[in-house]
Amino acid sequence: MKTLLARLKRLFSSPAAAHPTLEELQHLFTSRYLHFRELLTANNNALEAMAEMEKALLDGRSYSMAFIRAKSTIITVNVFKMIDNLRYIADGRYGQLVVAYRNIEKTIDELIDQSRPAVEGDWVLPLTRVNRSLVELSGEKMANLGEAGTVKDIQIPEGFVITSGAAQAVFSHNNLFTEINRIIQQTDARDLEDLHRRSHQVQKLIMACSLPTELERLIKEQFDLLENKIGRPIEVAVRSSGLGEDLGRASFAGLYRTELHIDRDQLIDAYKAVLASTYSARAMTYRLTKGYRHEQMLMGVGCLLMVEAAVSGVCYSRSMTGERQCMEIFWAPGSGKGVVEGTKDTGRLLVKRHYPFEIIEKKGTPLSVLSDKQVTQISEAAMKLEARFGTEQDIEWSIDSSGSLFILQSRPISVSPWAQSQPDPAPLADQQLLLRGGVTACPGAEAGQVWVVRSTVDLLGFPHGAVLVVEHPLPEWAPLLRRASALIATTGSVAGHLATIAREFNCPALLGVRDALNVLQNGQVVTVDATSRFIYGDRVDQVISCNVDKQNPMHNSPVEQTLKAVLSRITPLTLTDPTSPFFRSSRCRTLHDITRFCHEKAVVDMFGFGERYRYVKGAAKRLVGNMPMEWWVINLADGFAATYDASNKYILIDEITCEPMLAIWQGMHAIPWAGPPRVNVRGMGAILFQSTRNPGLDPAAPSAMVQKNYFLISKNYCNLSFRLGYHYATIEAYISSLRTERYVTFRFKGGAADESRRIARVELLAELLVRHQFRVEKIGDSLAARVEKRSQNVLYNCLKILGYLSIHTRQIDMVMSAPGQMMRYRNKFNKEIKEMLSHGKREN
Amino acid sequence: MENEKIDSLEAASGITVLIVDDETDFLEIMNKHLCRLGLKVETAGGCRAAISSMETSPKEVVIMDVSMPEIDGIRCLQLVKELWPDTEIIILTGHASVKSGVEGMQNGAFDYCLKPIDTRELVEKIELAARKALVNRRS
Repeated sequence: MKTLLARLKRLFSSPAAAHPTLEELQHLFTSRYLHFRELLTANNNALEAMAEMEKALLDGRSYSMAFIRAKSTIITVNVFKMIDNLRYIADGRYGQLVVAYRNIEKTIDELIDQSRPAVEGDWVLPLTRVNRSLVELSGEKMANLGEAGTVKDIQIPEGFVITSGAAQAVFSHNNLFTEINRIIQQTDARDLEDLHRRSHQVQKLIMACSLPTELERLIKEQFDLLENKIGRPIEVAVRSSGLGEDLGRASFAGLYRTELHIDRDQLIDAYKAVLASTYSARAMTYRLTKGYRHEQMLMGVGCLLMVEAAVSGVCYSRSMTGERQCMEIFWAPGSGKGVVEGTKDTGRLLVKRHYPFEIIEKKGTPLSVLSDKQVTQISEAAMKLEARFGTEQDIEWSIDSSGSLFILQSRPISVSPWAQSQPDPAPLADQQLLLRGGVTACPGAEAGQVWVVRSTVDLLGFPHGAVLVVEHPLPEWAPLLRRASALIATTGSVAGHLATIAREFNCPALLGVRDALNVLQNGQVVTVDATSRFIYGDRVDQVISCNVDKQNPMHNSPVEQTLKAVLSRITPLTLTDPTSPFFRSSRCRTLHDITRFCHEKAVVDMFGFGERYRYVKGAAKRLVGNMPMEWWVINLADGFAATYDASNKYILIDEITCEPMLAIWQGMHAIPWAGPPRVNVRGMGAILFQSTRNPGLDPAAPSAMVQKNYFLISKNYCNLSFRLGYHYATIEAYISSLRTERYVTFRFKGGAADESRRIARVELLAELLVRHQFRVEKIGDSLAARVEKRSQNVLYNCLKILGYLSIHTRQIDMVMSAPGQMMRYRNKFNKEIKEMLSHGKREN
Repeated sequence: MENEKIDSLEAASGITVLIVDDETDFLEIMNKHLCRLGLKVETAGGCRAAISSMETSPKEVVIMDVSMPEIDGIRCLQLVKELWPDTEIIILTGHASVKSGVEGMQNGAFDYCLKPIDTRELVEKIELAARKALVNRRS
């Protein structure tokens, strides 16, 4: 390889002096061009991945850390390849690029793989010692509950917290972090079956692990202390308290496990089960949708003395449905499970937010009722909690048989309230109304195919965009809300966990539609108008168009913040002008800068190679035929027919096997050139004036512009450098059977007219090329256009268009300032290109 | 994205590809897919088997998982590149990591692919690697 580099250096250091043989140069070309193509492929791959990352940020759809990690890896690997290949082509120059690259790559790596800092503190804490200041240790739910317990006259259950520090110790003790992260990173979150399998795999690992002996001792010691204090055998509820759970914008409602009636012997297994539920499929989907990082999740767990509830429920300290001066209380007899899972008949009260807490409205048919005194008790507690936490609260409560009120949970309300529709809206008269009624759990309207889910098996086959129909709105259906267009349940209330999640995901939800399972059939298309509480047969666009704008569920999430930080080192382009003295490798600030730099330098170097190659003795063959200009062809590999005699000085177009060249040739000759445009006196004056300032415009001067026109070809490759009239252009193409490496590029510069008219011609060219799928960059009177990875036919058509434009845009810059000329040429070119391509199609 | 068939493999059709992975299911599936596309394929269940296969007959292109027990993929990549510098290696990984991707490239890998494998993408990379390997051999 070193020899090759030395030979290249020798050959290219002084082109005029070096006269390698054709065979030598063909070999050098092959090797050098291979690196060039690799660089271009890597450039495309990197830019494609950059575009996907930017799109993810703008789209408002959910993406995971796995997505950020995969795309960043693709980009860094491909940028590395670009540098490597450029340095080969440039004979080891641009060492500064490596330094710039390493710095950027290191930062990106740190941003992606940042791990949660170790949690310091006690493994087990009595709830009486817990408050908001210990949130990192106890988790959100228990920190809030402990804080609530410090509010005057608010009673919470006795208990203790097994902290996130303990969870961290369990994971470290069993070496679980690496294994769990490995499994999670391989999870395809779009594939529910895969998600369930991986979730099960992780949960099994946690259930099988052992606790550090000291932790087990501390847990049991706290349990015994509690039992001694109560003075009888006790049972506890074991409840999750994740870090980041219950924050204002993400409730994690009902996603983690709660174990009820747990005695001393069951305690450790129950703890592990709650810990394992961090990785339940529903929790993983939720985190993905809301932009939380799995690897940063740690769980605190609360062990709370069981409250033997006579009546339980939920209170929103401010109503969600428009009555802003009221709070809402939902209740049902017994424990609160039936209320939050939507399986029990639930009563609803609308109560004024100030003393004497007047009841405004009573709904539902509960089996027991709350006394006025109890309503006042709950209302007072709600207002106190709202005052303590400084924001409206979603509160779970229970009242035991002795009439004592216990607060079980208090968290900020996670979504904005919505305005209630008219009390009795009328359905659309001209549409088939299938069902009406129920309660709006999330407003909005969407259409889709009905998909009834009764079991996990139904869940796995759930199609994207379907309307989810269930009997009870259980939290286990949460993974489907990401892909469902709407939710319908036969039971449930606004206060249920699934209703809360539906609101966070902006999934229109209508609950308590009693006949839904009798009337709706799988596969049937319906429109769910959750706002007005109607379900129509078929799709009703009139209703859907009134739907509220969907919010981005990832907004400001940890994953979105990571993506933004990573992108800041990848996508901004600060090196924009290759002619600037600051266009240097040491100035590369981002990976995009590096790709831009590598691409520019590689192209310059490869075109330089073509320039030098012309000097090879006997390499160029003159193309013979009926044509006005001199065209020369150099065969780099297999661009001539096998029957061609290499000792000839001339070649016929029929002896060319290079498909890209033939396409350009066809474009050049498809429509005869009408000759130069008629120039007025002013235009001619401008040409003469420009000629005095630019000696390159003198056809007799020995500049690059007066050289012969050369095709450098192989079977799949063509590089044409040419001057027609006063402009200079290069077309290059590689079109093989591999989609990833195909491309067509076009560079155009110059002209005889003044700058403004040259720029006007470039503008027109750009407009025409963009229309035919080229990406175009313009700087002054020069233009660079590129199209790649398209089908072979599309790219051959692009070459025909370039061939056509090369001939037909000759000298039109001189008339570009004349009124209407731009329009006239635009129409003419569009018409003729259309004709040419349709003619080509007929021939094919 | 155009879904176009790869109508001809040029360099890759004349070479043998060695796939190295400790997951036998993966080896079987890839073997089947690539053979169906007209490639000659050999498989190895780990680094030692890969070296032994290369000693018997060097391959132009090796596809290798980075996480393997005993000798990991990066070490195996270094060994193969040291002994057979003309061979081009495509590394595979089950989960993306900027560090492992760059480490692979710094150690001379030709390219990098993420599992689950997009067969079309892999075949294109094999073709490009094969071309480079053939040029390596000539120079």
